Amino acid sequence: MSDIIEPCKNELNLYFDNAATSWPKPETVYRAAEKQMRQVCGNPGRSGHTRTLEADRLIYRTREAVAKLFNVTDPARIIFALNATDALNIALKGFLKKGDHVLYTAMEHNSVLRPLGRLQREGLITATMIPCSIKGYPDLDFLEDAYHCETSLLVINHASNVTGSIAPLEEMLKSAKERNVSVLIDAAQTAGSQMINAAALEIDMIAFTGHKSLLGPTGTGGLYVRPGLELTPLREGGTGSQSEIDRHPESMPERLEAGTLNNSGLAGLLEGLKFIEETGIDKIRDHEQKIRAYLYEQLQEVPALKIYGPDSSEPASTVISFTINNVDSGEIGYILESSYGILCRTGLHCAPLAHKAINTFPEGTVRLSPGYFTTIADIDYLVDALKDITAHVAE
Amino acid sequence: MAYSCYITFPTTFYAIRAESILKQESTAFKMVPVPRTISSSCGTALRCSCDEIGKIKYTLLQNELELEGFYRLKEEGLKTPTVEELDLNE
Ligand SMILES: Cc1ncc(COP(=O)(O)O)c(C=O)c1O
Repeated sequence: MSDIIEPCKNELNLYFDNAATSWPKPETVYRAAEKQMRQVCGNPGRSGHTRTLEADRLIYRTREAVAKLFNVTDPARIIFALNATDALNIALKGFLKKGDHVLYTAMEHNSVLRPLGRLQREGLITATMIPCSIKGYPDLDFLEDAYHCETSLLVINHASNVTGSIAPLEEMLKSAKERNVSVLIDAAQTAGSQMINAAALEIDMIAFTGHKSLLGPTGTGGLYVRPGLELTPLREGGTGSQSEIDRHPESMPERLEAGTLNNSGLAGLLEGLKFIEETGIDKIRDHEQKIRAYLYEQLQEVPALKIYGPDSSEPASTVISFTINNVDSGEIGYILESSYGILCRTGLHCAPLAHKAINTFPEGTVRLSPGYFTTIADIDYLVDALKDITAHVAE
Repeated sequence: MAYSCYITFPTTFYAIRAESILKQESTAFKMVPVPRTISSSCGTALRCSCDEIGKIKYTLLQNELELEGFYRLKEEGLKTPTVEELDLNE
């Protein structure tokens, strides 16, 4: 193998930053992305030759695999975008109309907060935040009283990238459906590791990213839009079809896709999806739950370390946030990497309101996010390192 | 004289979806660039025998596909083929 495709494998690096982007990926993901670039290479939809058709088929199969993941029958309802941020922008700006009122939770990422912020500053919409408990769960009583006549959309962060807390989707969807309010789920932290049944739960839109739990490359992600809901496209342009008219195709998925897609990225994503299907999402979830429970237990043994968010009996992704006394979280992250080769993320994690909810604003936390490939031995090593660090801090 | 029949699609998505559905059936067909004598929104068309086109159309519509047009081409050597648009609504 050449240096270029050798993964950045460093025996010393222990990776606890899967909530930012997952690593490692299944070997098939790296290979498929490279193969698409080297051997398939046609521009989907653009020319009639066989390589183009092969590229088209890869994208179609990726769409089908995402549809299956969300239990959706029509793959046309899955559109591809750059990442979850892009998908959330397509959803929010394509759905909301002047005068609409939006509900969103305090756990939302800046990829929801900032588009909503702009739409509010421009006077187009109004919005209300649903506060969250200190563990990171939305206040359902508050939600019940928060609807207005103009409320058209409820945005739910499925799992917080700060605390790992998983929102009670069923109850929240039921509440919104009773009032004819549509629901947009930010599944950036859950697609691929938690079952999301779009059909059974009657979810209107799901934004997902390819490079986290779906185990694909960066630059991939997308949006599910339920049948019958047609969003206003954010961008128009080349699709390879209906070239003679100056109107972008109205039928999905082209309606919300313009320009050449990330073909090699999507070829990799397809392998990530296959890995998840072959392994079984339940098995992935159970393994991750075990890993989190073990990590939580072990962290409780570390003196001076304060854990935020759900305990091991409450619904959560793998994420755990903590602080050590008054030590700057960035400093702890730096020591973890420089002295122990442990990689994690520190600070506010693009979710300022979530940190306000758990009382860690503006200092932030150290965030650990193990993944499907994390082992018990990795956690033991991490916990020993943290015990070392806290012993020094206490001196 | 040889005849072959074509189905055209509004977008690439439906062309590939058609292929994926028909692959599970025992029907003979091929995805090809749209012949120049046919005007189509999407550059890829489905070519099949004219005996099968009715059955294929039925299968695709059962699967809620969006289709654009149906054609019969009379191919005479290197001469430009003669196109006839088919009305399959019988
Ligand atoms: C909850 C949440 N939403 C959205 C995003 C944005 O994902 P991406 O960077 O892939 O657009 C992230 C991750 O960064 C996230 O954790």
